[in-house]
Amino acid sequence: MRLRSTLTSVLMFLAPFAVLLGLWAVLVPYFQVNPRLFPHLGAVVDAGIEAGRDGTLLAHVGASLLRVMVGTALALLLAIPLGVAMGVSPALSTFLTPLFRFFSVLAGIAWIPIATLWFGYGFGAITFVIFNAVFFIVTYNTLLGVATIPKPLRNAAASLGAGRWSMLTEVLLPGALPNIVTGIRTGLGFAWRGLIAAEMIATNVGLGYMLFVARDFYRTEVIVLGMIVIGVLWLLIDRLLLAPLERATIERWGMVQRA
Amino acid sequence: MTLLLKAWGAYVRVSSRWPAIASIVPFIPVVALWWAVTALEIFPRVFLPGPAEVARTFADLVYKGILPEYLADSVVRLTVGAAWGIALGIPLGILIGLSKTAHRVLWPLLLFFQAIGDIAWLPILVIWFGYGLTTMTLVIVYTVIFPIVLNTVLGVRSIPINMHRAALSLGASRPRMLWEVVLPGALPNIITGLRNGLGYGWRALIAAEIIVGTSGIGFLMFDARRAGSVVEILLGMVILGMLWYIVDSWILAPVERATGERWGLVTR
Amino acid sequence: MKSLKVRNLSKTYFDPYAGTKVTAVRDVSLEVPAGEFACIVGPSGCGKTTVLNLVAGFIPATSGEILLDECPVKGPGRDRGVVFQSFALFPWRTVLDNVAFGPKMRGIGKVEREKIAREYLALAKLSEAAGRYPNELSGGMQQRVGVARALANEPDVLLMDEPFASVDAQTRMTLQEELTRIWQQKRPTVLFITHDVAEAVFLGNRVIVLSKGQVLEQISVDLPRPRAWDALNEDDRFKALTGRVLQLVRSA
Repeated sequence: MRLRSTLTSVLMFLAPFAVLLGLWAVLVPYFQVNPRLFPHLGAVVDAGIEAGRDGTLLAHVGASLLRVMVGTALALLLAIPLGVAMGVSPALSTFLTPLFRFFSVLAGIAWIPIATLWFGYGFGAITFVIFNAVFFIVTYNTLLGVATIPKPLRNAAASLGAGRWSMLTEVLLPGALPNIVTGIRTGLGFAWRGLIAAEMIATNVGLGYMLFVARDFYRTEVIVLGMIVIGVLWLLIDRLLLAPLERATIERWGMVQRA
Repeated sequence: MTLLLKAWGAYVRVSSRWPAIASIVPFIPVVALWWAVTALEIFPRVFLPGPAEVARTFADLVYKGILPEYLADSVVRLTVGAAWGIALGIPLGILIGLSKTAHRVLWPLLLFFQAIGDIAWLPILVIWFGYGLTTMTLVIVYTVIFPIVLNTVLGVRSIPINMHRAALSLGASRPRMLWEVVLPGALPNIITGLRNGLGYGWRALIAAEIIVGTSGIGFLMFDARRAGSVVEILLGMVILGMLWYIVDSWILAPVERATGERWGLVTR
Repeated sequence: MKSLKVRNLSKTYFDPYAGTKVTAVRDVSLEVPAGEFACIVGPSGCGKTTVLNLVAGFIPATSGEILLDECPVKGPGRDRGVVFQSFALFPWRTVLDNVAFGPKMRGIGKVEREKIAREYLALAKLSEAAGRYPNELSGGMQQRVGVARALANEPDVLLMDEPFASVDAQTRMTLQEELTRIWQQKRPTVLFITHDVAEAVFLGNRVIVLSKGQVLEQISVDLPRPRAWDALNEDDRFKALTGRVLQLVRSA
C-alpha cells in the first residue's frame, strides 16, 4: 500500500516532464527550429550517449562534484565548531552577528575574481569559492542556532549534571541542528551556483566549463544536455541528501523553526 | 575587568538607542585586523592591499565617474529584472497556490527548472540574445522568479480555510477574495520570497557581469582581475557587501518583520 | 430575519483511507422559525459541524434542500452569516475593519459602513477595541468581534459553529450571557452548534439532538428570558431539561 502510493506520487511528479519531452520532440522539428538555436531531443540524447561513452561527461560531472564535496566538507569542518563556539556566549554572538551576516551576503560568486587571483585557475580557486559559499552561511546559521536555544533547556541540562562535553553533544548541537541544516541547504545552493559560474571562467573541466565551451561552437545539444544534467544533479542532491536530512532532524523532533 | 564590563554596558545602551551603531562597531576590529595584516606584509601587497589603498581607489573611481556609472548600471539591471520577476511571479504563485490542477502540473517543472539554476542559462541566452541587457535581465528574472513563486504558493496555501469561508459568508465574490483575503494572507511569505529572490538575484547579476558583462560592478571586479589589480576587486566586494547588507538589513528585513509581527502571523 | 428549513439533508463522501463511503449526515430535517434560537447538540462525530457547513454552503449536499423562507439556497453567501470556532478574523485588518467587511462587500461607503461597524461593536461592548488588531485581543474578545462582524452584515440567518469552544470556561459563561442579550435585542434566526449540553439549553428555544448523522429528538426550551447562569443553575426546570438532553446524547 505504501509502496503503491510512493510509486503513484513519483509517477505524478514525472508526468509533466513526460508531457514536456513530448512537446519538445514534436514542436522543435515541426517548426524547423535552427539547431544552432535549439537542439532536437534526439540530438541531445545522442550527445549524452556519446559523452557518456567517451568518458567526458563522467569527467565533467566528477570534477564538479569533487570540488563541491571537498569545499563543503572543509567548510563544515570549520564552520560548525566556530559557530558553536561563538554562539555559546550571548554577548559575543550579538557582537559578531552583523559581521557574519555581512560576509554571508558576499558568499560564493563575489569571490570568484579574487579567488582566481589568489589561487590561479583550476581546482583551488573553484573549491575556495565553494568553501566560501558554505562556510560563512553555515557559521552564521550555527551561531544563530546555538544562540537561540532557550535558556531553560541549557539550565535543565546543567541541573541534570551535564558537563561541558555533554552540553555540547546533547544540547547545543541538537538544538542548533535545524538552523545548521537550513544553513547547509542555503549554502549548498549558493555553492552550486558559484561552482557553475566559476567553472565557466576559471577552468577547463567541469559542468560549467562544458556549457561555456559548447557555446563557442554553437553546440546547443551539449548545452541543453549540460543544463539537464545540472538540474538533475541538484534535484538528486536536494531530494536524496538534504530533504531526508531535514526530515530526520527537524520534523522528527517536532521543531518547526523555519519556513 | 570592571572597565571592560562598563564599556560593554555603555555599548549596549548606545546601540539600543541607535541600532546602526551595533551594525557598524563589529566591523572596526575587522578593519583594524585587515590593516594590521597588510601593514605587517604577511601576504604580498599584490595579493592583499590595505584598507587605505582601497579607500583611495574608491575616491579615485568616484571622481572619475566610473564607479557611480557602473553602480547605476548594476542597480538598474537588478531593479528591472526584479520588477519583472515580481510582476510575473506573484500572479503565478497565486494561481498555483489556489488551483490544485495548476499545482500538479507546474510544481515538478518549477522544482526542476529552479534546480538548473540561473547561471547555467547564460550560455544559451548568449546564443539567443547576445551579450547585452536582455540576456542579463532574463537571467535575473529567472533567478528572482523561483523564490517568489515558491514562497507565494506557501503563503497562499497556509491561509486557514476558515478565512476564505468567513469572507464568503460575508458576501465576498471570488475576485474580491483575491484582493481581500489571498493577497494579504500570503503577504508575509511573499515578502520573504522577495527577500530571498533579491538575494539570489544580485548574485546572478554579479555572475552574469563577470562572465558576459561589459559594465557594472561585477565587470569591474573581473576586469580588474585581468589587469591584476586586486584593489579594485576588493573595492567591488566591499561595495557589494555594504550595498546588499544595507538593503537587506535595513529595508527588507524590517518590512518582513513588520508585516509578520504586526498581523500576528507566524509564517516561519 | 428569515426562517430556516432543512429538508431531508444528506451528505455522503468517499473516505480514501478507509476505502469506503461514509455517511456523515443522514436524512436530516429540521425547522427554525424566524427569530428563533435553535441549538444542535450531539457527541463528537455526530455530524453537527457537517450540517452547519452544509447549511452555510461551504460543502455541497448529496441530497436534500435548504430553504430560507421557503426559498432554496446553495453555496455560501451573505444571507447566512457564520461565526467560527477559530474566530477567523482577518489579522491584517483592525477590529473595526473586520466588522465593516460585510458592508464593504455590499459596496457601502466608508463613512456609512464605519458607522454600522461601530454600532455593532458597541452592541458587543467592544467600542474601545475598534483600532486594535485581532492578535492584540484575548480569545473572548476576538470571538465577540466575530459575532459583531457576522451580525453587522445583517444576514437572514446566523450560523454559529461551536463558537465558544476555544475559550476558557469563565469567559465562555460571560459570552453566553452576552449572546443572549444581543440576541434579545436583534432577534436573529440562529442555528447554534455545540457539544455542551448545558450551553445548548441555556441559549436556545429549541434543542435538536443529533446522533450518527440523524436527528434523534427535538426538545422545546421554554425557560423565561433574560437568562443568567446564577439563576438557572438553581432552576429545577433547567436541570430537568439538561438532564433529559444529556441522557439522549449519552444514549446515542
